Amino acid sequence: MRGHVNARILVVDDDTALAEMIGIVLRGEGFEPTFCDDGSLALAAFRDSKPDLVLLDLMLPGMDGIEVCARIREESGVPIIMLTAKSDTADVVKGLESGADDYVVKPFNPKELVARVRTRLRPAPTVTSGPLQIGDLTLDVAGHEVRRGDTRINLTPLEFELLLALAAKPEQVFTREMLLEQVWGYHYKADTRLVNVHVQRLRAKVEHDPDNPSIIMTVRGVGYRAGSTP
Amino acid sequence: MRGLDWRAALARVMELWRSSLQVRTVAITVLLSGLAVAIIGTSMSISVGSNLFTARRVQLTATTENANLAAQRVFDQAAEQLSPEDPDVTIRAAAVAISNAAPGAWFTIPPAQGQAGITSGLDQSEALISSELREAVRDSDDPRTFSQPVALPQDDGSTHPGLVVGSTLDIRGERYELYLVYDNIDAQETLGFVQQTLVIGGLALVLLIAAVTFIVVRLVVGPVQLAAHTSEQLAAGDLTVRIPVKGDDVIATLARSFNGMATSLQNQITRLAALSQVQQRFVSDVSHELRTPLTTIRLAGDVLYDQRESFPPATARTAELLHTQVERFETLLADLLEMSRYDAGAVEMDAEPTNLVRLAEEAIDMVRALAESKGSQLRLVAPGGYFEAEVDSRRIRRILQNLLGNAIDHGEGRPIVVWIDSDADAVAIAVRDYGVGMTPEAMARVFDRFWRADPSRQRSTGGTGLGLAIALEDSALHGGWLEVWSAEGEGSCFRLTLPRVRGAVLTSSPLELPPDDGPPIEEVPHA
Repeated sequence: MRGHVNARILVVDDDTALAEMIGIVLRGEGFEPTFCDDGSLALAAFRDSKPDLVLLDLMLPGMDGIEVCARIREESGVPIIMLTAKSDTADVVKGLESGADDYVVKPFNPKELVARVRTRLRPAPTVTSGPLQIGDLTLDVAGHEVRRGDTRINLTPLEFELLLALAAKPEQVFTREMLLEQVWGYHYKADTRLVNVHVQRLRAKVEHDPDNPSIIMTVRGVGYRAGSTP
Repeated sequence: MRGLDWRAALARVMELWRSSLQVRTVAITVLLSGLAVAIIGTSMSISVGSNLFTARRVQLTATTENANLAAQRVFDQAAEQLSPEDPDVTIRAAAVAISNAAPGAWFTIPPAQGQAGITSGLDQSEALISSELREAVRDSDDPRTFSQPVALPQDDGSTHPGLVVGSTLDIRGERYELYLVYDNIDAQETLGFVQQTLVIGGLALVLLIAAVTFIVVRLVVGPVQLAAHTSEQLAAGDLTVRIPVKGDDVIATLARSFNGMATSLQNQITRLAALSQVQQRFVSDVSHELRTPLTTIRLAGDVLYDQRESFPPATARTAELLHTQVERFETLLADLLEMSRYDAGAVEMDAEPTNLVRLAEEAIDMVRALAESKGSQLRLVAPGGYFEAEVDSRRIRRILQNLLGNAIDHGEGRPIVVWIDSDADAVAIAVRDYGVGMTPEAMARVFDRFWRADPSRQRSTGGTGLGLAIALEDSALHGGWLEVWSAEGEGSCFRLTLPRVRGAVLTSSPLELPPDDGPPIEEVPHA
C-alpha cells in the first residue's frame, strides 16, 4: 500500500458538482482522485484505476451503491467509504453488510471527509513485531496475514485491524466505543452499528461456527474480547 | 380453607355480577319479581286462612247452638215428665242428641255444684278448656256461646288446631256448662294445600320470569356483545370486520351505523396511511435531493473559508458569512427532517442500557466552554441510585444538549445545576437555571415549533426553534415526560423523566419540579 500522499481515490458519485468539489478538496490534501458517475461503470473504473480507497455514493444510476460495494468487495479488500444522505435508514446497514468500511453522512465538511479517508489509509499500528495468537488463529502482524494452521484467511485491512486490536490485548474487554476510536478513528460518539456489522462479517470469515463464536467473544452489555488461546 | 373457598366463590360471583349484564339483569329481575310474588302470596295466604277459619267458627258456633238446643230439649222433657227417671238415661239421651246435632265434636259438661259431669271422647278436657273461657261462660247471663281456638294434642305427639265452643244448659234450674271441642284439621289442611299451591305457583312464576328475562336480555345483549367484540377487533387493527345486519329494528340500525363508521374509518386510515407514505417518501427524497447540493455548497464554503486570510477583507467576511450560514442552514435542515420523521411516525428507537450520569457528564462537558464564555458555572448533582436506563443515548444526549443550551442562553451568567435522581422505576434529570425565567404564557408555548421566548434575545447556541419540540418528541418516544417549571426572575427548570425499562409506564418522577435547591447556591454577581 502506498502512503497517503498521492494515494489514488476513486469517487463514485452521479452528482458531478459534488464529485468535482470532493476532487478539489482531496487534491488540496494531496490525494489523487479519479471519478465515475454511473454505478454500472463503477467496477470497470475500479479495475482501471486500482484505487487505494473508494468513496461511494449509495444512490447511483445504473447499479446502486450497495451492489457496487458488494462487487468491489468480491475482488478486493480496498477501503470503501460510503457517502449517504440518510444515516438512519436500513441503507447504511445494508452498505456496511455488503462490505463498506465506514460512511460519511451528507452534508459533511471537508475536514470530516479527509479525516475519514486518512484513517482508512493509515498503516495499521504495529503494536508488536512477532506473531499473535487469537483462538486457533495466528496473526502475522508485519505481513498482514491471518492463518489457521496452514490455511490463509483473507481479511480486508479493516477486518485485520479489528482482529489485531482484540488479539493484541487478550485480557481486555473492548467496548464498542473503544473499538470505534481505535479502529475507525472516531474520537466522539459514533454509530455502534459499524462495530456490530463488522464483527459479524469478521466472524463469518474466522469462526468455525459464527452463531457460537469462540474467537471474537461477546461480553453482554459491554462489548467484545478475544477468545482464549489454546 | 373453607373460609378461603367461600371468599373465592364470593369474589367469582362479584366478578360475574360486574362483568355480565345478562347475569345482573336476570338476577335483579328474579329478586324483584320474587319479592313481589312473595308479598302477594303471603297476603293471599293470610286472607284465605283468616276467611277459612272465620267461616268455620261461624259454622261451629251455629252447630254448637243447635247441639245446645237439642240437649236442652232433652233435659227440659225429662224435667216436664217429672218422673224421676234414671238421670243416667237422661244424660245418655242428651249425649246422643248432642252427637247428632254436632257430629264429630267432643263435648264435656264439667261437674258443677256437687253433680257429676259428663264427657265424651275427651280425656284432658280440663287442660283444653281454659279458665278464662270457663269464667266467661259461667259469668254470662245471655244464652250465647263463647269460643276459643286450642291446640289438640294427638297420639303421635303433634297437635291439630281445634276450637272449643262453650255454652250453658239449664237443668232443673241449675246452670251447667257445655263445651264442645271441634277438630279443625280439615280447615288447616285446606289452608296448607292452598299455601303449597301458592308457593309452587310462585316459584314457577319466578322461574318463568327468569327464563323470559334471560331470553329477552340475550336478544338485546347478544348484538351488543357482537358489536363490542367487533369494535375490539377494529381497534386491534382489523379494519375489514363488520357486523352482520338482520332485519330492520334498532339493533339492525346499530349494526348499520357501526358498519358505516367502520367503513369510513377504514377509508380514512387507508387514506392517511397512503398520505403518511407519501410524506415519508417526500421526506426521504427531500433529504437526498437537498443534501447533495448542500454538501457541495458546504465543501465549497469551507474551502473558501479556509483561505479567507488571503482574500481582501470584504471577500473574507463574505466567506465567513457563507460558512456560518451554511452551518445554520444545515442544522435547520437536520431539525426539520427530524421533525418530519416524527410527524410521519418513521422514528425508530435504538435503546440500550445507558448510564445517564455519564451521559449527562458528557453533555455538560460539550457545552462547558460555551457556558464559561457566558459566565455560567455548570454543576452536576447526582446522589447515588440506579442510573442505568434503557434509552436511545443519541436522543437523550440531544435532549440534554438542548436543555443545557437553553439554560446557558437564558441563564444570565448565573450557575446552572443539573440534578439526576432515580428510583426503582424511573430516572429523572432536571436542568435548572437561575436566569430570567418565563411568564406563564411563555411556559405554555415553550414546546411549540419555531416559538422563541424573546425574539430580540441573542442566541449563542444557534438554536433553530425546533429544539424543544424535538426534545419533547424524543422523550415521548421513550415513554418519558419532559416538563417545565419557570418563574419570572427566578429562572427555569426542565425536568426529563424516563422509565428505566423500555415500555414501562411512568407514574411519578424521582425529582421534584423544580428540585429542592438544598444549600443556597452562591450568588455569582452579574453585571
